[in-house]
Amino acid sequence: MSEMFANLGLGFSVALSFQNIALAFVGCLVGTLVGVLPGVGPIATIAMLLPITFGLDPVGALIMLAGIYYGAQYGGSTTAILVNIPGEATSVVTTLDGHQMARQGRAGVALGTAALASFFAGCVATVVIAALGAPLTKLALLFGPAEYFSLMVMGLCFAVVLARGSILKAFCMIMLGLLLSTVGTDLETGQERMTFGFPPLSDGIDFAVLAMGVFGFAEVLRNLENPEARDVVRAKIGRLLPGWSDIKQAAMPVVRGTGIGAILGILPGNGAVLGPFASYTVEKKIAKDPSRFGKGAIEGVAGPEAANNAGAQTAFIPLLTLGIPPNAVMALMVGAMTIHGIIPGPQVMTKNPDLFWGMIASMWIGNLMLLVINLPLVGLWVKLLQVPYRLMFPAILIFCSIGIYSVNNQPVDVAFTALFGLFGYLLIKLGFEPAPMLLGFVLGKLMEEKLRQALIISRGSFMTFIERPISAGLLLVAVAILVIALMPAMSKKREEVFTE
Amino acid sequence: MKKLALSLTAALALALPAQAQSKYPERPITMIVPFAAGGPTDIIARIVGENMSKTLGQQVVVENVAGAGGTTGITRAVTATPDGYTIAMGHLGTFSAAPATYPGLKYDPINGMQTIGLAGGTPILIVAKKAFAPKDLKEFVTYVKANTDKVNEAHAGVGSVSWTTCTLLKGQLGVPKLNSVAYRGTGPALNDLVSGQVDFMCDQIVSVAEQIKAGTIKAYAIASAERSPALPDVPTTKEAGLPEYQIEAWNGIAAPKGLPKDVVDKLVDALDKALNDETVKKRLLDLGTVLPTKEERTPAGFAALIKRDADKLSPVLSAAPKQ
Amino acid sequence: MSLNKIEAAQGWRIRSTQDFAGGLFMIGLAALALFLARDLPLGTLRQIGPGMLPKSIAVICAALGALLSLNAMRYKGEKLSGWSWRGVFFVLGAAVVFGLTIRGFEIGPLKVPQLGMLVSGPLVVFIAGLAAEDVRLKELAIFAVAMTTACALLFKYALSLPIPLAPWLLGI
Repeated sequence: MSEMFANLGLGFSVALSFQNIALAFVGCLVGTLVGVLPGVGPIATIAMLLPITFGLDPVGALIMLAGIYYGAQYGGSTTAILVNIPGEATSVVTTLDGHQMARQGRAGVALGTAALASFFAGCVATVVIAALGAPLTKLALLFGPAEYFSLMVMGLCFAVVLARGSILKAFCMIMLGLLLSTVGTDLETGQERMTFGFPPLSDGIDFAVLAMGVFGFAEVLRNLENPEARDVVRAKIGRLLPGWSDIKQAAMPVVRGTGIGAILGILPGNGAVLGPFASYTVEKKIAKDPSRFGKGAIEGVAGPEAANNAGAQTAFIPLLTLGIPPNAVMALMVGAMTIHGIIPGPQVMTKNPDLFWGMIASMWIGNLMLLVINLPLVGLWVKLLQVPYRLMFPAILIFCSIGIYSVNNQPVDVAFTALFGLFGYLLIKLGFEPAPMLLGFVLGKLMEEKLRQALIISRGSFMTFIERPISAGLLLVAVAILVIALMPAMSKKREEVFTE
Repeated sequence: MKKLALSLTAALALALPAQAQSKYPERPITMIVPFAAGGPTDIIARIVGENMSKTLGQQVVVENVAGAGGTTGITRAVTATPDGYTIAMGHLGTFSAAPATYPGLKYDPINGMQTIGLAGGTPILIVAKKAFAPKDLKEFVTYVKANTDKVNEAHAGVGSVSWTTCTLLKGQLGVPKLNSVAYRGTGPALNDLVSGQVDFMCDQIVSVAEQIKAGTIKAYAIASAERSPALPDVPTTKEAGLPEYQIEAWNGIAAPKGLPKDVVDKLVDALDKALNDETVKKRLLDLGTVLPTKEERTPAGFAALIKRDADKLSPVLSAAPKQ
Repeated sequence: MSLNKIEAAQGWRIRSTQDFAGGLFMIGLAALALFLARDLPLGTLRQIGPGMLPKSIAVICAALGALLSLNAMRYKGEKLSGWSWRGVFFVLGAAVVFGLTIRGFEIGPLKVPQLGMLVSGPLVVFIAGLAAEDVRLKELAIFAVAMTTACALLFKYALSLPIPLAPWLLGI
């Protein structure tokens, strides 16, 4: 324990130098900006800023890049709440209740709750990394393809609970998401699948393209149709920041969300995406009145936001302790480290203690800065909602177009997004919810990959999923979730009016 | 209203002037990297590109156009106007292996593009999980041949460097149908190798060196002519008894065919200057990169390298049981 | 809209056009997927082929769609509501125009030059803005120019993303 404090002391002595504080601030600011802009993700920004960091020392460079990363996570929630566009898979859940809160004139409360929840989660996650980083590494190594497949199955069961209306329709959407995820070149054989022979589809459908189409564009189309609905957002602006009763209501969800997110974040292969979904499921299931969810329940923002941020931070554990990046942003951090002559591996902690502990300390500083940057901005964001809608949506459109273009520098992606906008509009008309579809889509790729890996390794035996204890445990949880979700639906089928 | 918008488009379309080609370069040069940012090719492109900007007096902007094993980006680059403002950093896969891997490829690396030069070679290693039975390369070869049904090979997806180089290895060992487990990228594959879910893989030194040093995985051999200073204890394939397995994952610059001679010369010169720069050299060597020879830095030398590796890989890749 | 036994006993007819169409929509998509994946081999459990998952998921989709349509004939539900073609046309059209003009495009005889953000930007704002029923042309035109300037500064300079501004005019 005393060793940990000595290490943290070293970390803070590195991170608190004037230059590193300034870099953390710049990183957080830029990160918030790119997070708020739909489409332009942390990946494009970090890649662009890599050469600028050549002149800095490695610790400073990584502190800045890490700031961009978690700044973008913060900023992404803002867009999800204000205009119902999830920039990343992790903010899909935030759109459910966050945007509903905004529609009820509680945008400021939603944004404030998200910021405070993220700050709390970030602080806890930093301590987790410092205290348990090394032992937790083993968790990442316990998860082989079979375990991972079962985890994905569990994740899909969460999606059923996400549903606001008919469970059957939610199932439809999950399956549709899975189906869309199989589009593109097959990983094992290199064969093209359902691409219409169209080259831009050979890498599958990009998440940003799908999400911005079915959420962003389709939402614009829906709002254009109901002028009354969109003006609700502007009509009333409630209090700006969460009040005491809000905080009391959000406290326990934040704690639970932090725990869930922190654990899932450590898993390899981007387990962090499951965090917000899992947290939402838990909150909805233990709530006294689950019907409030999807209609602006503050717990539905607080829990997932905490899970999101905790996961974003603990995702550094596999990178720092194993040298293995768990997701695309972390892979980019590997690139940043290698450019600075630090090849990530299991020895970073012992060979570069100032880097390791400096980064951990800077995470805490970064979280504090994000709070300082974001809370004053809440007022500004809420004011933005007062822009007349006839000007707001063309602005959304130009931001989305440029953002999508810059994801892959592919103009055809913008046209695809328009196509998915039409698709999303059709879904709205048919009364389908896009959120379960996006979860199915995100998990689908991983699930197929892991299923096939597991079966090749087990030589075609499905028993591998039951014989391995962790995998079996996860499947049991999945079955339990499904039973809990289906029971009330069976007994009081369609009692609730399905409202938009 | 529609008419207004349409006529506006038309008016602007007509206003498009032709570009004069006098003193190259007059504006920023786009270097297309056909992979996501942060990967080995992207890093080399950014290190080299930054220095080339200084020589050329114009910014070399890296643009990541990922897709279809890098072939999407290269297609865009080599089918662009041959004016020197679009160049590409490709690698072994996109220039030598792609014709045999992707039947519908829209470019011809041998005859359909202007090579500039090699930027660096990255050695390939044969690595295995810590607890894998064979102790050295010779035992590995015997073991794999005898236990084709037990061994699991990992790779980072069809078309990736690890897939290409491992397919070559399996072809040379006569076990093309070995169980192969596909991952989405080197990271997840390496994760499962460290945790012992899979048995062995082939990959670039920059991805595996630290894991080997830390003892979380073991290396049988390096498939280069000489040992790497980063891993002096790992024998070459020649020393370890598999001399025919020689392959490097190099990165090099190419441009559309039909580039004016003076533009080619300027680019070749800028690349050469970058590779002679001490900072660039140090950064590349830190990555485990082997600096190209004088010959390989010329368009002809680089073209010869592409052809040599294409000849080596084509028969194995076309025969690989991928479909 | 609770489940009503009397209602259920009233025989089969379409009681929720929305759900019924939703079911058909699922079946249609599944059929399209099955058609596109027709040549992909299923493989074996030991070595799953590229067609296994797409085909089995498509079958499940079709089954769920059929169930949804059947349910729509038993239980009452939402009705289909009308479309707003104006929004679809202008909003989605604007995005397509942006995609076509930002880097230029060639589809057969149609050739669009590379216009860059300084042209594509105002175009997307202006065309999209026409979708609003309370559109004011002058305000929209000014807004289009202002937004493009802001975006150029933000994306090209502040974030230095490699997006073409106006290659035909500025060379970048």
